[in-house]
Amino acid sequence: MAPQHSPPASAFTYPQSYSFPPFFTLQPNLQTRLSQLRKWSRLIQRYCRHEHIFKLSLVTALDTTLFKNASLRKRLSLNDALQVVDWMTRDEGGRRAEWIDGGVEANGGTVWVFWKRPEEWADVVASWVEETGQRNTVLTLYELMNGEMTVGQGMISREQRLDMSAHGMLDFHGMDAELFHRCLAVLVKRGKAQVFGSEDQQGVKFF
Amino acid sequence: MSARRGVGLSAFQNRSSLSTSYATHGASLRSTHLSSLQTQLSVFQSLLHNFALQHADTIISNPSFRAEFARMCNAIGVDPLAGSNVKGKGVGKGGIGSLWAKVLGGDVNDFYFELAVRVVEVCRGSRGENGGLLGVEECKEQVKKGKGIGGGMDVSDDDILRAVKSLNPLGSGFSIVTVGRKQMIRSIPKELNTDQSRVLEAIQVLGYVTASMLEDNLGWEHARAETVIEDLLADSLVWVDLQAPEKEYWSPTFMNDFED
Repeated sequence: MAPQHSPPASAFTYPQSYSFPPFFTLQPNLQTRLSQLRKWSRLIQRYCRHEHIFKLSLVTALDTTLFKNASLRKRLSLNDALQVVDWMTRDEGGRRAEWIDGGVEANGGTVWVFWKRPEEWADVVASWVEETGQRNTVLTLYELMNGEMTVGQGMISREQRLDMSAHGMLDFHGMDAELFHRCLAVLVKRGKAQVFGSEDQQGVKFF
Repeated sequence: MSARRGVGLSAFQNRSSLSTSYATHGASLRSTHLSSLQTQLSVFQSLLHNFALQHADTIISNPSFRAEFARMCNAIGVDPLAGSNVKGKGVGKGGIGSLWAKVLGGDVNDFYFELAVRVVEVCRGSRGENGGLLGVEECKEQVKKGKGIGGGMDVSDDDILRAVKSLNPLGSGFSIVTVGRKQMIRSIPKELNTDQSRVLEAIQVLGYVTASMLEDNLGWEHARAETVIEDLLADSLVWVDLQAPEKEYWSPTFMNDFED
């Protein structure tokens, strides 16, 4: 929920719709609403990516600038926010979100926000393994997620790194542990990794 | 004197020969005029052609230069886009195509077709949020940003208008309407009634409207204001803000960030 490492120095730029008062009221017209939902979905994903958020608690987030525009004195209501996120979880919303533990009602509506879906993260990890020559080495999960080696992820040039971070390809460093497991599970399924060890001391070998 | 005027029967003959010679002279004068005009025109066309070729890069890259050039074409009665619907590949080199293509070479012509495609993309992409009514200026901004294939294009309002006009032969239903002081592209063939236009104009001036603002400013009865607003909402032409003391209606034109 809270940013898990210091957010990038650059400030988040809100889309212009964020300054458009009716944006904070879900529109009654279905066609209009659909385009509004898309905008919200994009905004939420971009915001979470920028802040490095993986799990979002709606109740808490309602008080953040994501859902509240203080200068307009507008905010998305809890009910509307639930609808937006619920749309994101569905196929039409590209399954860019997933309810955690009991869905909408429980937990104050906590939700995975997939600015990258687990499969997409798996691709990022796989290409990092490739680029840094980590194939057939055993790494602990702790190393991967918190170790120095994944800061900026390996020996790529500065330009490449800038380019990649511009496309949000970096930073599985500091990723939520549960999500990282899911991402590894995808790799295991693809036959590209093997996970072993017990709870605390899990290791992974990439092929 | 008297011999020339003639008397008696010979006068008739004289008169008829006189009128024939006037006629032939007139005809020859006309044909000289015509041929000299034709020469002038062909000289002019070749000059225009040379000019366009020489400055093709500038015409394409500089919006204000292009607008001036188009204005010049208009002034001399050359409609750059006439016959544009029969354009085929390689028409620029002498085939049957639009005047733009024949006189100016394919480049300038292609420019407008490409632009028209962008305009259609932008209009379609934003239809959900603005009900198919998009400001020419907003459209221009989007085309400039150019999220589509091939990056942004540097264009002027004039170019957009021209591009929309070039869509006419397709019967696409794209048209330019004027609401208040703004020119807008209508991409859904539906007429606005007077009341609807007045509300949209009011939104342009005031930023938003409420039912009671309409009642106060336009002297409408409550039911009338409500109906017009309901219609506009149903067509996605306005968005409602329920978090205000009284329901406020805003025009999505001012949001202008689809594709963000």
